[in-house]
Amino acid sequence: MVSKKMTIKNEQGMHMRPASLLSQKATAFTCSVKINYSGNSYDCKSIMFLMAACIKCGSDIELVCDGPDEEKALNDISEFIESGMGD
Amino acid sequence: MYKGIAASRGIGIGSICRIIEHDLTFEARQITDTAAEKQRFREAVEAFVQETTAMAADIRKRIGPKEAEILEGHIVMIMDPSMSGEMEKMIDAGQCAETALTAVCDMFYGMFSSMNDDMMRQRASDIADVKVSVLKKLLGIEDVDISKVAPGTVLVCRDLTPSMTSQIVGGNVAGIITEIGGKTSHSAILARALEIPAVLSVPGIVDAVKDKDTAVIDGTEGEVYINPEGDILARFVLKREEFIRKQAELNSFIGKETLTADGQKVELFCNIGTPKDARKALECDGEGIGLFRSEFLFMDNTRLPSEDEQYEAYREAAQIMGGKTVIIRTLDIGGDKDIPYLKMQKEDNPFLGYRAVRYCLGNPDIYKTQLKAILRASAHGHVKIMIPLVTTVDEVRGVKSLVEELKKELDAEGKAYDKNIQVGCMIETASASLIADLLAKEADFFSIGTNDLTQYTMSVDRGNPNVAYLYSAFQPAVLRSIKNIIECANKAHIPVGMCGEAAADPLMIPLLMAFGLDEYSVNPVLVLTARCIISKWTRAEACELSDRILAMDTEAEIVAALKIAAKE
Repeated sequence: MVSKKMTIKNEQGMHMRPASLLSQKATAFTCSVKINYSGNSYDCKSIMFLMAACIKCGSDIELVCDGPDEEKALNDISEFIESGMGD
Repeated sequence: MYKGIAASRGIGIGSICRIIEHDLTFEARQITDTAAEKQRFREAVEAFVQETTAMAADIRKRIGPKEAEILEGHIVMIMDPSMSGEMEKMIDAGQCAETALTAVCDMFYGMFSSMNDDMMRQRASDIADVKVSVLKKLLGIEDVDISKVAPGTVLVCRDLTPSMTSQIVGGNVAGIITEIGGKTSHSAILARALEIPAVLSVPGIVDAVKDKDTAVIDGTEGEVYINPEGDILARFVLKREEFIRKQAELNSFIGKETLTADGQKVELFCNIGTPKDARKALECDGEGIGLFRSEFLFMDNTRLPSEDEQYEAYREAAQIMGGKTVIIRTLDIGGDKDIPYLKMQKEDNPFLGYRAVRYCLGNPDIYKTQLKAILRASAHGHVKIMIPLVTTVDEVRGVKSLVEELKKELDAEGKAYDKNIQVGCMIETASASLIADLLAKEADFFSIGTNDLTQYTMSVDRGNPNVAYLYSAFQPAVLRSIKNIIECANKAHIPVGMCGEAAADPLMIPLLMAFGLDEYSVNPVLVLTARCIISKWTRAEACELSDRILAMDTEAEIVAALKIAAKE
């Protein structure tokens, strides 16, 4: 299992568009991809749970990947979050 | 008369068509042939996806990409493993497709609608929309085809779903009345995009009316009249004509230069608060950004934003605007704007205290981070720096020397910036106005902030109801001050703008024109209104009016005279 702490920078937080793109990205990996945020763990492969997490701009999250391709998943996905998730 | 939320402006008069919700009840069944049931479910989802995809494509073409994304989101939602995946699991366990769909959607609906967040509650209504649409497919229910209603129809329904809105054909629907939904709901956004008057959240309206009743709706005021008396109807027919005429007049200014009636060009900029607003400014036909408030970076945060974070935000705004001017006002905190993590001292008179440029020059580390970020962003567009709350020449010199110091740092780091970046000041204090001639020698441009200028000139706290009557930019003292500032800038040949509310005030515009204002910076939605008013006055007419106005003794006289002179 690998993980990385990061900050959400999207002005409007995890709304529909970034959640949609992020879930598509995460689904491409075999390993599990989760976001820990304010005491809960959310499945990144689901747009519904990502939106339900209600993550705001400036929130600190932890990205956790667990499985065969965890290293590449952590790299790619954290880079994507850093880049503002297409916003 | 019924009152509701004014969600989309304009007057609509027409014959009512009620959209009654279908009976979507079903009997839950235990399934033995789960494979066949899953097939039935998949076909329903597939039909829903196809229909929605076609609608989204149509909306993208007719309305715009933002509105289409709402519907495309519905597809992503239903296809999500936690949605259709969970539903199929329930079908595998012997539940019928209707039960599975309802249970999973209701679970998410409950989760989203209980959140204390506007955007999430909006998602809840999306989920409800998805549920109903797929359920109709499963139950084989065909919807009323809204695209076929007769011209002059007023739609009355409980809620206008995005899928319903997408069937609306421009000219046919004269108005929309719903029982739920707010100003920022999808129905409101779509109604505005289609320019159809809409009043939302009118309780009980569906049961209170019959098909073919006559409805008058005022989407500007949020009023609905059903089968009104002749005189009311006549009044609204006139009001509708007036609205349409005014709207057509404003639309005729889209894409035009901002010119006075005698052909002098002035600049018409926008005030914005976030980089995204820059897009709005362009959509509204703004010619640049006259005031980019940088506070959002600091207020919506739990710590100081880094140089890179700030750089990204400023660069984004500059790039969105292409080569057009973007004037960034440096951190304007203190006064009524507190940033908790900065732990600023409590003051007895915060508006006369340690705020804006005073705070920034006293905390050079914070200020240098911001100035450096702005300088770096200046490599990506036409960026200018604006200093808030200037009261002395020293402050302008102080900021300029910091800017020069930072330019050297950037040179040493090999980072790009605009070497000729302009540094201007806000003129919004009585002292800045009195020494405008001196400041004009130091500053590259002026921008008049009428809200603070009025407050400081009149020595009045506008939040205090006992003295609020003194708070008016039409007070002779404030008008003289504005005139002096503009004349000093004109004399020194530096551009002078105004970014306060007064810049879009139809009564103030002829005076500003007479004084010689170069740039008007307004809320994006007021761009066309301001351009229209500016186009009605020649400089000579404006000067004649301003001579009369400046000879008057009281604010009341001035406002009365300006109202008579106003050109609608």
